[in-house]
Amino acid sequence: MEYLLVRFPRSRRVRIDDEFNGRTNELIELEAGRHTVSLGPPYTYEPDEYTIILKNTSALDPREVTFELKENT
Amino acid sequence: MSLKRIRSACVIIVGSLLFSLHGCAHYPVNEPKGAGHEAVRYQFHYPVEGLNTDSLFICLAFSGGGTRAAALSYGVLEKLRHVRITWKGVEKSLLDEVDCISSISGGSFTAAYYGLFGDRIFEEFRPKFLDVNVQSKLFGRLFNPVNWMRLASPYFSRIDLAAEYYDEHLFEGKTFAALAHPPRRPFVIVNATNMVNGERFEFTQEQLDFLASDLNSYPVARAVAASSAFPFLLSPITLKNYPHTDFRLPADYQGGLQDYDVNRRRYYWAKNRMIYLDDERYPYLHLMDGGLSDNIGLRPIEAAYRRTSGFIRRLINEGKIEKFVIIIVNARTVEKDTLSRSESPPGILTVAAKTATIAMENYSVETIETMKELRLERVKAQKNLAACQKRLDQCPGSTPLPTFATTIDPYVIEVNFEALRDPARRDYFQSLPTSFSLTSEQVDALIRVGPQLLEESPDYREFLESLAIP
Repeated sequence: MEYLLVRFPRSRRVRIDDEFNGRTNELIELEAGRHTVSLGPPYTYEPDEYTIILKNTSALDPREVTFELKENT
Repeated sequence: MSLKRIRSACVIIVGSLLFSLHGCAHYPVNEPKGAGHEAVRYQFHYPVEGLNTDSLFICLAFSGGGTRAAALSYGVLEKLRHVRITWKGVEKSLLDEVDCISSISGGSFTAAYYGLFGDRIFEEFRPKFLDVNVQSKLFGRLFNPVNWMRLASPYFSRIDLAAEYYDEHLFEGKTFAALAHPPRRPFVIVNATNMVNGERFEFTQEQLDFLASDLNSYPVARAVAASSAFPFLLSPITLKNYPHTDFRLPADYQGGLQDYDVNRRRYYWAKNRMIYLDDERYPYLHLMDGGLSDNIGLRPIEAAYRRTSGFIRRLINEGKIEKFVIIIVNARTVEKDTLSRSESPPGILTVAAKTATIAMENYSVETIETMKELRLERVKAQKNLAACQKRLDQCPGSTPLPTFATTIDPYVIEVNFEALRDPARRDYFQSLPTSFSLTSEQVDALIRVGPQLLEESPDYREFLESLAIP
């Protein structure tokens, strides 16, 4: 299995391949391969989504993606 | 009118009647989506009411093996019903906590019956199925002249007679709507094999979406018949693949199709489903015994654990599962070898039968070991994180490591005759035939040995100890 860490200033549900699969700032365990990553509502984050290829990670060295809070939200 | 003319008229009338009967016989066809039965999809539901929790998550895998497998899995269900636990302050049985059952062939009878009728299984299943010589009942239908006319139709075959028997005598005409509503656990996954690509085919709405078809209106008996359509003895079950007008490929499959270089397992999982989208080239599919693709029923559980869209994976990543338990009920036997004694090569019928069945057990051990490796991988990841965090805690000002939503305590438990220590008993169970006709003594012995094998399993004992059950 592979490991993903989605960074965001707040705790928010994480959507992987259109399914809720964990929360921001927690380790998410996933199958290797291509995945789309976005967050649950409210849509006050950017970018809209990431497409990543998950491979060669470990729990101690996960793939990290970062979402930012949109300005004026 | 002369006697001769009357006789001719009678022949014409009877002939026409027989012809119309012949023409009428057709297997029940699965309905297209939108037929009005889809209020509740047959899929895993989260959460459900009742004693079942997500935090203690138990899945059962029931193998194939005719009545032998049905009786062994029934014995394990009975055992789980009698084990009392206290989880999150609530007293209940282990059976109350079973969340999913994936089944093959003979095991599918037990799984589907429990899914449909719950605890009624403990009163009814033995007299209605385990103690019945189902084979003679099926032969009785086969040799009934009325059925000969129906069997003459190209759209009606032996498996349809078997499905009718199961429907009338076991499953009370229930369709998947009865499993879907009200939403409940366990989620029962009945598995068959697609004859075209050898791929596992599961009777869930997610799979039927790929046929643009509605599962709720489909008889459970036909799914079980497909799951147990043993090569040569029974013919395949046929499903219609409808035109895909508004089908949207789930994102997990979209990603998988691009994973040839990164994750071939996911790539082929996605690719093998794609054939159903070509409904012009594949307007029908023919399903045979689930054992041809996975004879222990563990693959759907493994897929639900691995895939992003899998119901187990999602619950794990959402931090809902604390204890994850898989109990594999494997009714595997060891065939007595007689071929090796013969100097001359086997005849064509033996070769054909062997070719159809020899591979059924080839990957069972590998599948179980793969699931154990997945379990170990998670345990190691959790331990590594904890050990590193412990060291970091000694460094003032260090940033804590990210953690999983929850730490999972996983178990993979197998019930297998191979674990019997007494060689004579082991040989007895491993020599039982794969048929739908066993004696009451054999059924008794199977129902008793399941709980014994479970109790003697070190993994099961470790799991019980974790629940503070001595």
